[in-house]
Amino acid sequence: MSSSAQGGATAPGEQDLRPHFHQELAQLERQALGAIDIVTEQLDRTLDALARQDVELARMVIADDDRLDGRYLEVHQGILSLLARQTPVAGDLRLVAALLHMIMHVERMGDQCVNIAKLIPLSGHEPPVQDDVLALLGRMGALARAAVAQCKTAFAERNLPAAIDLIRQDGEINKLNREIFNAALAAGDDPEAREWGTYMVLAARAIERIADNAVDIGEQVAFVVTGLFQEFSDTYRPAIRTGMQA
Amino acid sequence: MSAFDAGPTLDPTRPLIAAGNLRRRRRMDLLMRGVATAAAGVAVAILLIVIVTVAGKGASQLSISFLVKDPSVGIGAVGGGIASAIVGTGLIVALATVMALPVGVLIAIYLTEFSTPRTARPIRLVLDLLNGMPSIVIGVFVYGLLIEGHQQAGWAGSFALSIIMVPLVARATGEMLQLVPRELREASHALGISRWRTIVGIVLPSSLGGILTGTVLAIARAAGETAPLLFTSSIFSNSTTVNIFGTALPNIPYLIFQDSESAFPADHARAWGAALVLIVFILIGNLGARAMLARQRRKIVSL
Amino acid sequence: MEGSQPETDASTAPPLAALAITSREHTDVTTRDVVFDLRDVDLYYGATMAVSGLNMQVHKNVITAMIGPSGCGKSTVVRTLNRMNDSIPGFRVSGEVLYHDHDVYASGVDPVEVRRRIGMVFQRPNPFPKSIYDNIAWAARLLGLKQNLDERVERALRGAALWDEVKDRLKGSALGLSGGQQQRLCIARAIAIEPDVLLLDEPCSALDPIATALVEELMQDLKKAYTLVIVTHNMQQAARVAERTAFFSLDVSGGKRTGVLVEYDDTEKLFTRPSDKRTEDYVTGRFG
Repeated sequence: MSSSAQGGATAPGEQDLRPHFHQELAQLERQALGAIDIVTEQLDRTLDALARQDVELARMVIADDDRLDGRYLEVHQGILSLLARQTPVAGDLRLVAALLHMIMHVERMGDQCVNIAKLIPLSGHEPPVQDDVLALLGRMGALARAAVAQCKTAFAERNLPAAIDLIRQDGEINKLNREIFNAALAAGDDPEAREWGTYMVLAARAIERIADNAVDIGEQVAFVVTGLFQEFSDTYRPAIRTGMQA
Repeated sequence: MSAFDAGPTLDPTRPLIAAGNLRRRRRMDLLMRGVATAAAGVAVAILLIVIVTVAGKGASQLSISFLVKDPSVGIGAVGGGIASAIVGTGLIVALATVMALPVGVLIAIYLTEFSTPRTARPIRLVLDLLNGMPSIVIGVFVYGLLIEGHQQAGWAGSFALSIIMVPLVARATGEMLQLVPRELREASHALGISRWRTIVGIVLPSSLGGILTGTVLAIARAAGETAPLLFTSSIFSNSTTVNIFGTALPNIPYLIFQDSESAFPADHARAWGAALVLIVFILIGNLGARAMLARQRRKIVSL
Repeated sequence: MEGSQPETDASTAPPLAALAITSREHTDVTTRDVVFDLRDVDLYYGATMAVSGLNMQVHKNVITAMIGPSGCGKSTVVRTLNRMNDSIPGFRVSGEVLYHDHDVYASGVDPVEVRRRIGMVFQRPNPFPKSIYDNIAWAARLLGLKQNLDERVERALRGAALWDEVKDRLKGSALGLSGGQQQRLCIARAIAIEPDVLLLDEPCSALDPIATALVEELMQDLKKAYTLVIVTHNMQQAARVAERTAFFSLDVSGGKRTGVLVEYDDTEKLFTRPSDKRTEDYVTGRFG
């Protein structure tokens, strides 16, 4: 029930003097992590709809975003209530702050899914798909899905190496994003094909943003564990990356 | 998990009358209260009987002349007043107080402020023994110390009385000093005030009322002691004197003793009168001391 | 484009450095003068060691708080600073307790002089059973500060934020004041004799929240002129009031219970990112 990381659990032989507060905090964390489950579902459906150009499924994704917004409000309210009533400090305080950031990033992930879903009907019936682009999107989507799953386990387990690994995954996703961009440029002169290609570039960008949000959640993991906050470097800035690894 | 999960076992909304065990307990409560009240009543009754008896027998003697005239002198003389005895008792007791008060207070200060538990215990023991010492033994001791080989003198009687008074003053003072909370002394020390100044400026003034009461009670006790005066101040002429250092002084307790042995009823009557005067003096002293204490206490808590 | 990407291996996960965030004014108070320097101090009651291995410095014009569970020696430490433990039989100090580089426990040191400069406010307000005026004037007079007594009394009462409330009844008994007013009177009494340091042993424990808030605000003003050390059971109070906080705990190893200083740092660091797990456990309430 309570997470096994530093500042989270009581060792055997110790006695938790504030069990109700810590149970409340653990429940809040479960709710926030549950939101990642919701967004994972949304992402699956979005990628599926994208692959099959399924307009109905896209419509469901858009409608279901309310669930995420609702969860965001729940967690947000829970955090305010906890801060006002329980005065968390040290590790508990860092966790509460991290949960606030995390739920915002999850909500943005959900918004990006909606953005992708909105693009699908725009392509119209039987759009001129480019299979190579769709394949790249599929790979990109799978990687993004893995990143989202990993940021959840990294947070739940307070796993710092797993959080840092998200940078690498983000880098691969960014590479695929550039490949899709180049492939779409090579679509040719057909205006409908070019239009479809542009939409797919937008979809790829949305997937890339989802991965960025996963990395941001990784930053929060680092903050909870170490108490220090640093932007995980963007792969476009190798100098900082090297500096970090020195 | 908690022992209180089940809630109250009896219906909390039932009527608010005593039931079962509670009724028996209330009867026991009333019984004990009755017994305690009766015991208090007995104590009051005894005091009242003494006062009423003495007053009854001695009131007839009370008059201005009784208080201001000396006992009649001369062969076969009877009657007269007790003025010389009043003056003599007053002087002897006053001198005894002057001797006993500083000593008693200083002993109490030493015990409360400066002694360690190891040194305090023997001193407290000694004070208790002194308190329980028969007054006739004290009288004999003072006789041997001061009178033997010389003549009687009032001040020797004062000395004997002061020995009786010291434990009383010391105990009363000690109790009052201990009542002064430790935090008050600490507050003074924390300001950089030395211990002695703290005692004089904070501790003693707070205990003054109690010390006064204790002293008055000691005086009341001493005024009635006969045995010490028997040895030190019993051979005197019946005229009023103030020469406490040169000669024995007339005093009320010995006068009562002397008159009760006399063959003349007039002397007996005078003895009752003197007893009444003594009791009145003690009562006034007691009640007055308590009133003063109450007034001082009220001053402290008022704004 | 990216060159070779170094692998992030779990065991070589690089340490993260904090961004230079200056969200509030943060001055390093440890650069100020040292008022107290405790070196390898052990405190004993008879044969029992109450506090062990104490090393800490208290800085000038800083509020330093001591927190920790009951019985870990915080009050003992604070009372050691002004020799108030002298009256406890069997109390012994080993190590050095330096106050402005003078060892407070050296032979030849006059404890009365020590307390003259290091004042103390206690847990329960303890005004003298005298008038409000005399509570302040009595000690001042005895210590030779006889001139301009009225002015001194007024300045002390103003300093304790009590003047306006009592200026019309200075001759009234101090015992007629409310608890919060009495405690502020005790503070006024302490600062009237112009000490250097003010030690406060749980000064707000007996006060209601409003009186507590007044005293806490007062401490922020007082620290400009004095150095304050406060012992408190209330962690949030230490967090609100102190720039530096010392966390004491009990060491129960070896079958003996001894107080030890676990962590001593800037308050903000102690309450957001404590270095020691024992501190983290205590402030979050996971203490055993």
